Amino acid sequence: MSTLSFNLRAAPSLALDLSALIPSKLAGLSLGEIARLPLGEGSDAPAAGDAFDIAGSPGDTIVISGGSPLLDYVGAGLDGGTILVGGAVGAYAGRGMKAGKIEIAGDAGAYLASTATGGLVHVKGSAGDFLGGTRPGDRFGMLGGTVLVEGSVGQRAGERMRRGVVVARGKFGPAAGSRMVGGTLWTEAGFGPRPGPLLRRGTLIGPSVDEVLPTFADCGRIDPVILAILSRYIAGVLGPLAPKALPRTVRKLAGDQATIGKGEILLTA
Amino acid sequence: MSATTRNGIAIDDTFAEAFGMTGLGLVITADTAKWANICATVMTGFGTSVIGAGAECGIDRELSQDETPDGRPGVRVLMFGFSPDSLLPQLKNRVGQCVLTSPGSACYNGLDSAKTFGLAAGPRFFGDGWQTAKKLGKRRFWRVPVMDGEFVIEDKCGYTTDGVGGGNLLVLGRDRAGLLEATEAAVAAIAKVDDVITPFPGGIVRSGSKVGSKYKGAVASTNDAFCPTLKGAVKTECSPDTIAVLEIVIDGLTSKAVADAMRAGLKTLIEVGAAKGVTRVSAGNYGGKLGPHHYHLKDLLP
Repeated sequence: MSTLSFNLRAAPSLALDLSALIPSKLAGLSLGEIARLPLGEGSDAPAAGDAFDIAGSPGDTIVISGGSPLLDYVGAGLDGGTILVGGAVGAYAGRGMKAGKIEIAGDAGAYLASTATGGLVHVKGSAGDFLGGTRPGDRFGMLGGTVLVEGSVGQRAGERMRRGVVVARGKFGPAAGSRMVGGTLWTEAGFGPRPGPLLRRGTLIGPSVDEVLPTFADCGRIDPVILAILSRYIAGVLGPLAPKALPRTVRKLAGDQATIGKGEILLTA
Repeated sequence: MSATTRNGIAIDDTFAEAFGMTGLGLVITADTAKWANICATVMTGFGTSVIGAGAECGIDRELSQDETPDGRPGVRVLMFGFSPDSLLPQLKNRVGQCVLTSPGSACYNGLDSAKTFGLAAGPRFFGDGWQTAKKLGKRRFWRVPVMDGEFVIEDKCGYTTDGVGGGNLLVLGRDRAGLLEATEAAVAAIAKVDDVITPFPGGIVRSGSKVGSKYKGAVASTNDAFCPTLKGAVKTECSPDTIAVLEIVIDGLTSKAVADAMRAGLKTLIEVGAAKGVTRVSAGNYGGKLGPHHYHLKDLLP
């Protein structure tokens, strides 16, 4: 398995679009051709070789050494293989990815894994707002795959998310699961204020909620089989990184009753 | 037509003739192994022969907690029918009446295949609009609110049209009780083979049939050639000392599984049979022209 390395020469002063740097787009290219790939739109967009020292040969794995919040679209459209980032990334990492794995050693910016349909994103730091969310023009946010954030998550994670699982060791910010239509947000630390505004379907799992919206109905304690299925599934996907298996019983808050209300906040503590 | 004798048991030089079937597998789980078994037993009940029961059903094996999607005890059941069209209504009725209703049950696909049935296509609507789905990876699970919590049922289940129905062993003996014990032991050995079921009561048929009847409207009738009480009156297949004949019918998801099952059954009969009064092992066929799968006993000997 060959590796292609991109070593960041200096902290960028402008946002770079790294969506060209995925294994399937680089297969068969020479290092010279890769160095000439533009990292953005327009004639003055910097080329890959301007921002990075490039070494190795194209294969399954891409290693980006260093990091910056200005590295946007890291692994966007990834359809196989692995991207390892040594530091932080900007917005839209893993956007629209279909398969493969992105590992980010630092923090991730906004819109992480938005419209992703598959694959795994592992953020060792924290993630910004609209994780798995929609940006204008998108019909849905995240559509599949798995995101693991070791730190905390910003506001409105899972906005109009439809499928997939987001696991965070830290807390989700305000309004997590906003307008969500499916999928699962799972935190080991808890949710910030008012999760699930206009939540249609989908599952928010965590030990606590800072402030529950008045449009969520308390269904009391339940012991649904799906908890065991979820625990087993995520253990299979994340292996030793998986969160602790869910308890047998949880407290269910059903909502958002301001819409169809088939979503749920499951309180594990 | 005895070709060979093993451990004092004659093994006929004949073959079992079997047919192509459509088969599917399901995994049924519950809070305890007891309830998974109750559910699977009821769900596969009255599933002996496609001719009269609509489908041939049985328990393939018990599953450990590591093997089920929800980490609970489970059972894998198999169902066989003439065709996908005839198997689907059986699936729908049996799951709807016997699995949905069973306390604590959940129902999952038990056969990976490109061809699928909508397993939850009917049962999920029991939720009356309260049902929700959770898609995890490639599998979608429906959650139907019921009085003991939620009934979880996977969206689709795979089926195969490469299944085989009607692998069989005919066991002849000179002592009915001993014959039954030896045949039970053979069924137990077959149960250890994956991807097969023995759909008749306890895996054993005592009323083997021939095609046709003297009566209009009956498609099958007693296999008089193997009826010991008629052995002087008809062209018999029984030996002079035959008191009883029992048959094991085997359905499998693959032809190899059926052959493996027959081999396991035959081995056990040869090992334990003589002491129990088993005198001969034969197999049922229709001259070889009806079914595409032929299992020659001489090829299956240990």
